[in-house]
Amino acid sequence: MAVDLPAILGARLAQSTTIPETFFTAQAGQIAEACWSMARRFHQGGRLLAFGNGSWATDAQHVSVEFVHPVIVGKRALPALALTNDSATLSGMLFDTAREEGAFARQIGVLARPQDIAMGFSPDGNCANVNAALRKARHTGLLTLGLCGGMGGIMASHVRPEGAVDLPAANEQAFLDYCFVVPSTDPLTIQETHETLYHVLWELVHVFFEHEGVLR
Amino acid sequence: MTEQGSKYDQLFYPYLFEGEKTSREAVIDQVRHSTLEKCHEIVALRQQLFQDAGELIIAAGQAMARAFASGATLFAFGNGGSTTDAQDLVTELIHPPYAHWRPLPAVALTNDIAVITAIGNDVGFASIFTRQLIALGQPGDIAVGISTSGNSTNILQAIEQAKKQGLLTVALSGYDGGKIAHSPATDFCITAPSDHIPRIQEAQASAYHALLAIIQALLAAP
Repeated sequence: MAVDLPAILGARLAQSTTIPETFFTAQAGQIAEACWSMARRFHQGGRLLAFGNGSWATDAQHVSVEFVHPVIVGKRALPALALTNDSATLSGMLFDTAREEGAFARQIGVLARPQDIAMGFSPDGNCANVNAALRKARHTGLLTLGLCGGMGGIMASHVRPEGAVDLPAANEQAFLDYCFVVPSTDPLTIQETHETLYHVLWELVHVFFEHEGVLR
Repeated sequence: MTEQGSKYDQLFYPYLFEGEKTSREAVIDQVRHSTLEKCHEIVALRQQLFQDAGELIIAAGQAMARAFASGATLFAFGNGGSTTDAQDLVTELIHPPYAHWRPLPAVALTNDIAVITAIGNDVGFASIFTRQLIALGQPGDIAVGISTSGNSTNILQAIEQAKKQGLLTVALSGYDGGKIAHSPATDFCITAPSDHIPRIQEAQASAYHALLAIIQALLAAP
C-alpha cells in the first residue's frame, strides 16, 4: 500500500541530472555554432519566432521573453515572438480545416522575414505542424532550429548536410540548420533539458553579440 | 569596428578581452566551454535542491494529493519566465504527459490577458493574481506561486490572499527563499539555492515535475 516516495523523487533527480550531462557534453560544440548563427541573424535585424505544442508552447513563450526582456541587467533586448500566444489566430486556424497546412506554418507564411530565426520544439521530432512550419521557414530563408528528444524522428533525418553554410536550394528535403536531440524518451526530462538549452543559447548569443566583428 | 564588451561580459567572460582572442574560432571555443560550465551548474543545483528540500517536496506533494483527492482546483502564477512555468505545470495537470496519469483540474492565472490588463490598469500590477483568486479560489483549492527571488509583490500578495481564503499555498523560490519563504501565509516553500535566474527556473522545473510524479503516484495508490 505504501508508495515509495523517496524512490520516485530519486528517479526524477537521476533523469534530471544524467540526461543534461550526456546531452551537453555531446552537443556543446554545435550549441556554440548555433549561438553564432543566431547572433548573426539578430545582427542582420532578424527576429526569433518560436513554437511548439502543449507543454512546449510554454517553452516557446519562455525563450521569447528571455530575448525580449533579458533578466540580466544591461543585456540588450532582442526581438522574439512566440507563435503560441495568439489564441484567436490559433483557434481560428484550428477550426478552419479547409486548409491542410497547420497554424504555425501559416503564421510563418504571414509573419516571417528571410533574416528571421525559427525555433520549433517537438518531443520526438515528429510533430507534423512544427515540422511543416520549419520547412516553410527554411524555404523562406530563415535559420531553422529543431529542439527534440527520443531518436530525433523526422527532425533528425532532415538536417542540412555537414559543412554546408547555406542550404542549397536543391536540397529540398533538409529543413533544419541545427537539430538538438535530447537522448531521452521521458517528456519531462526532455523539456527540462530544452529549458537549459534555450537559456544557454540566449545567454551565449549575447557573448557573440558583444563581438560584432565575428558576426560579419 | 572596435570590439567592445559590456561590463557584464568583461566580468564573466574575461578571456574574451585578453590579447588577440577575438577570432570566431576563439569565441566559439569559449562559448563551448561556458555551455559545459552551465550544464555542470544546473546538475549540481538540482542535486543540492533535492538533497536539501527532498522531504519538503514529498510533504508538499502529499498535501497537494490530499487536496486533489477532495476536489481541489490548482491555480498557478508567476511573472516572466516563471509565468511559462506556471502554465507548463497547469497543462501537465490538465493534459498529462503520461497515459497512466489522471487529468487534474488546474488554471494558470496568466492565460487571460483581458483579465490581467483590466486589473493591472484599474487596480495595479500587484493585484493581478489576488483579484483572480478572490473570484476563483475556493477553500481547499491549491495556490502555487512561482518566483525566482521570492520577493515579487504580486506573488506574495496572492499567496497571502489564498491563505485567507483557506487555500493550500505552495511557493517555488530561489536565492535564499526571499520574503515568501518566511511568510506565515506560505504552507510550503521549495527554494532552489542559486543566484542565477535561468538555473533557478530550470531547477524549479525539476521540482514541480517531481511534485507531479508524487501527486500522481499517491492518487493512483489504493
